[in-house]
Amino acid sequence: MLHTLKLLLPALLPSWNFFDVIAPSPRIQFSLLSKKDETPEEWQEFRPRPAKLTFIQMLKRLLWNPKWNESLFMVSCAERIIAQPAQRIQQHSEDEILKRIIRILPESNLNLATANYLQFRLVLVQRQGEQLQHEIVFYSRIQALIRDDKP
Amino acid sequence: MNFDLAIRLTEILAGFALAQQSIEHLTTFANERRLFLPRLLLAILLILGIQTVWVTSLLLLLGLAILHRFQGPYNGGADRMSLLILFCLWLALIAPTRYWQEVAFGYLALQLVLSYFISGWVKVVNPDWRSGQALSDVFQFSAYPVSESLRQWVESPRLLFAMSWGVMLFELLFPFALLSTTSLNIALIITASFHFSNACLFGLNRFFWIWIAAYPAIIWFQLRIFATL
Repeated sequence: MLHTLKLLLPALLPSWNFFDVIAPSPRIQFSLLSKKDETPEEWQEFRPRPAKLTFIQMLKRLLWNPKWNESLFMVSCAERIIAQPAQRIQQHSEDEILKRIIRILPESNLNLATANYLQFRLVLVQRQGEQLQHEIVFYSRIQALIRDDKP
Repeated sequence: MNFDLAIRLTEILAGFALAQQSIEHLTTFANERRLFLPRLLLAILLILGIQTVWVTSLLLLLGLAILHRFQGPYNGGADRMSLLILFCLWLALIAPTRYWQEVAFGYLALQLVLSYFISGWVKVVNPDWRSGQALSDVFQFSAYPVSESLRQWVESPRLLFAMSWGVMLFELLFPFALLSTTSLNIALIITASFHFSNACLFGLNRFFWIWIAAYPAIIWFQLRIFATL
């Protein structure tokens, strides 16, 4: 309860420091594995952004934007993991990302027939001079996929 | 705009914003639906103005449960502004005298002013914002641009430089808009356009609706404090 009240305080006494510093930005990539001890080779970006959006699509998203808001929440979870908070919060963020990846798998066009396990990693993107630098900063646990279509 | 009308408009606009947020959660996990379906129903009651003391009380409790569920805000500043509006509205509804009701509602107006001024201040003290580099970084590699094509804006540094200074100056000058009703109305049209742009370019749709929900508070506040000076 005390922890939840601590979470409430920034809402009642906000800092309003939006975009004060443009920090390195995490990307969530995942890999499907058939065996638990398999080394992941192919990494997929979670819900990549579209190449282009029309103005009409942007207007529609003003009222209905659940996927994008979920993606932003997952970025927050990734930032929490990278910030290395208490183990309980880190575990919560890892669980949130894993279960949301698992939920979108059926609607992806990935071959799920041999997929039994899932792992995600966090890639931190930042600018170094004129170049963008990509650095892998975190590997999740390997999560068994329990799906309705599997025995 | 008198106090009672400002409160009613805030209830309607906040109710709409909370309903919009809640509907977005109805297609997800069952344990999220259990939090957001009641929130949607309460938001509708708030729009209709039914039992608003009880409704805002329950919405605040649900807000705490949602904070606990996600171990923080689900949607950053938009969630925090939602809770702030609910808290001020609740205080304004339960306060025993008109004086304390106005203090509670005035706090919301004050925070709205600070939300722009402090955002401008933390940017202008950062050399990367003053050079336009920070906004360039937002478009180049941050998680926010809604499409890959928007990342190409990084190739227009002069435009981003102008946009950076436009945003910073406007945010810093926002408190001066309180000096007259006309300047405040113009300023609120510009800030609403700013939130609309953020919703289109960065997908921050919830910010658009919830910030507008705080506008009646500042319109009332300006008339109450500055128009009498």
